[in-house]
Amino acid sequence: MTNLPDWLTDGRDSATLAAMLDPSSSSSLESLAIESRALTLRRFGRTMTLYAPLYLSNYCSSGCAYCGFASDRKTPRRRLEPDDIRRELTAMKKLGITDILLLTGERTHNADFDYLLRSVDIAAQEMQRVSVEAFPMSIREYRALADSGCTAITIYQETYNRERYEALHRWGPKKDFIERLETPARALEGGIKTAGLGVLLGLSDPGEDALSLYRHVRYLGRTFWRAGLSVSFPRMRPQTGGYEPPFPVDDHSLARIIFAFRIALPDVELVLSTRESAAYRDGMAGLGITRMSIESRTTVGGYHDPENNGKGQFDVFDDRSAHEFCNAMRAKNIEPVFKNWDPAYNGPADVNNTILHPVKPQPCL
Amino acid sequence: MDYLQLGSYTFSSRLILGTGKFSNATVMLEAVRASGAQLVTVALRRFNREQLADDLFSPLRALPGITLMPNTSGASTAAEAVRAAQIARELSGSPFIKVEIHPNPQHLMPDPIETFEACRILAKEGFLVMPYIAADPVLAKRLEEVGCTSVMPLGSAIGSGQGLATAEMLNIIIRESNIPVIVDAGLRSPSEAALAMEMGCGAVLVNSAIAVSDNPPAMAGAFAGAVDAGRKAFKAGLMPKSSFAIATSPLTAFLGAKV
Amino acid sequence: MLTLELNGKQQIVPHGSAVTDLLSIIGSVDNNVAVVINDRIIRPDKRSTHQLQEGDRVEILIFAGGG
Repeated sequence: MTNLPDWLTDGRDSATLAAMLDPSSSSSLESLAIESRALTLRRFGRTMTLYAPLYLSNYCSSGCAYCGFASDRKTPRRRLEPDDIRRELTAMKKLGITDILLLTGERTHNADFDYLLRSVDIAAQEMQRVSVEAFPMSIREYRALADSGCTAITIYQETYNRERYEALHRWGPKKDFIERLETPARALEGGIKTAGLGVLLGLSDPGEDALSLYRHVRYLGRTFWRAGLSVSFPRMRPQTGGYEPPFPVDDHSLARIIFAFRIALPDVELVLSTRESAAYRDGMAGLGITRMSIESRTTVGGYHDPENNGKGQFDVFDDRSAHEFCNAMRAKNIEPVFKNWDPAYNGPADVNNTILHPVKPQPCL
Repeated sequence: MDYLQLGSYTFSSRLILGTGKFSNATVMLEAVRASGAQLVTVALRRFNREQLADDLFSPLRALPGITLMPNTSGASTAAEAVRAAQIARELSGSPFIKVEIHPNPQHLMPDPIETFEACRILAKEGFLVMPYIAADPVLAKRLEEVGCTSVMPLGSAIGSGQGLATAEMLNIIIRESNIPVIVDAGLRSPSEAALAMEMGCGAVLVNSAIAVSDNPPAMAGAFAGAVDAGRKAFKAGLMPKSSFAIATSPLTAFLGAKV
Repeated sequence: MLTLELNGKQQIVPHGSAVTDLLSIIGSVDNNVAVVINDRIIRPDKRSTHQLQEGDRVEILIFAGGG
């Protein structure tokens, strides 16, 4: 069994965060909110970056205890073919979306790397920004993704508690804790420009997971110092008949975690999805969260033909249209930002840039 | 025990001394002794028979526990710095080199481009490269990337005594660095050295503040105490600063009452 | 006699002088110096045998005070 890396277990840098997360700490939630809001305003201004998820396929080989798409679930499986993808993209663009997150399950024969790469290629032709949340890949695979126009990947460790992780990921490639842990580093090494991290709150002790998550972000920031970093806060909801999270995180606790992360990581993008209610998202906008998904469909496809798509990966709680959502932002004096990237910036990051590149002056056209 | 690790060398003292501006060599040596410094920087100069007392090599070698860190002051280009480093290593036998390239003799600000180039070459040649730089967080990471042993950002201009004018930048450098950060230049008082250590610096380099003091050995001792205090405080964990004000209408009202 | 450039100035030494002879002439009695001739470092163990040539550019360097 490989040892846990030092950066994960070393608590010296995370002591301040730990103090803020401690519910018995002297910092009231309101005082954390004030500080978090001030830092967010200073660094990010009055803006909210927007994106939407597109599930390419719900085929999955893994057995995650908590997921509606686990391979032993009876969910009908489907994947989008290239024409399907183009239709979905057209529908999404009509809603104003230009920044998309492509999702698949764990690697399967039906939705493998080549499928993902082709899908990225199609999406990059239509969208201003393409991110991917899929299975762990090799450095070479990430480089190929970057070459095709993917500039960010999201990969949640789910939980940094190894025992809990191994119990929850019952079979399939996702069972390997260390491989998953090393994935964001591989992505950045391969030239992906931004890595998005997170834990699925509710699976394990949230305080412990939050500290580990912070350490992961700090380690990646020091190692890949040119890289962009973002943190998401997906929270498991208790679901009847579904998986019951053993460590449910209530609204106040989630807020404390978000504020503490903003204070501890003033420059990192913090993301909240449509798992959360409209009221919660509106409340958190401007207090720490800087990026949100909108118009989310968590079924495969779902933008082109909203009625006909089966059960999603999770229930969407904020089902407002982009229009309604933007009005809500503007009412809070926050500008919704649909485009925060340009494909001119696509391509792999130059990770080992130790040679100075002399600039040859080009004649102006 | 809390050692400063530089290459394969471990030091118990986190105060590094410069040897310039002292009234004479005897005072300088007294100051070095009083400071407890184990790493001392020296410059390469032309031999001059009229000034035999300029030579510090023998007297410094006679002090126990001292490792020399020659510097490349006088060099204006990477090529000159590399040449000076090679000569200095040959003479001293020490792998340490402080890369110091300041082309402007008034403000003595370091040239980042020549410094980077010199460090890139010297690191490949096996030196323990310690570059003197402005407090530039990106330059610091680039130098770490090419194999420097530490980075030495200035607190303020050499001899200016303006203290930690670059504190905000130093904080970023310290936070993001995987190698020791050694504040060099501009420290005027022991309290500033303590503050630098409290911020998380690996060590500080002090020259002018000690050399021009009325009593350099006493001042050197004071700096040693300050560096020690600052380091102990950093290790013990300082109380977090609170800058919170209280809002008039609560931002968290939307969460409702806590369940 | 040979004419050398020593530390930027003219220096005359007898024909056939080795580096150690030059060091005696200028008053560097111990080996606390670096010797560079025409951009090549001359190590201490080579100084008694290394012969000086007409027009050699010689630099003799010490460690002096400096931050």
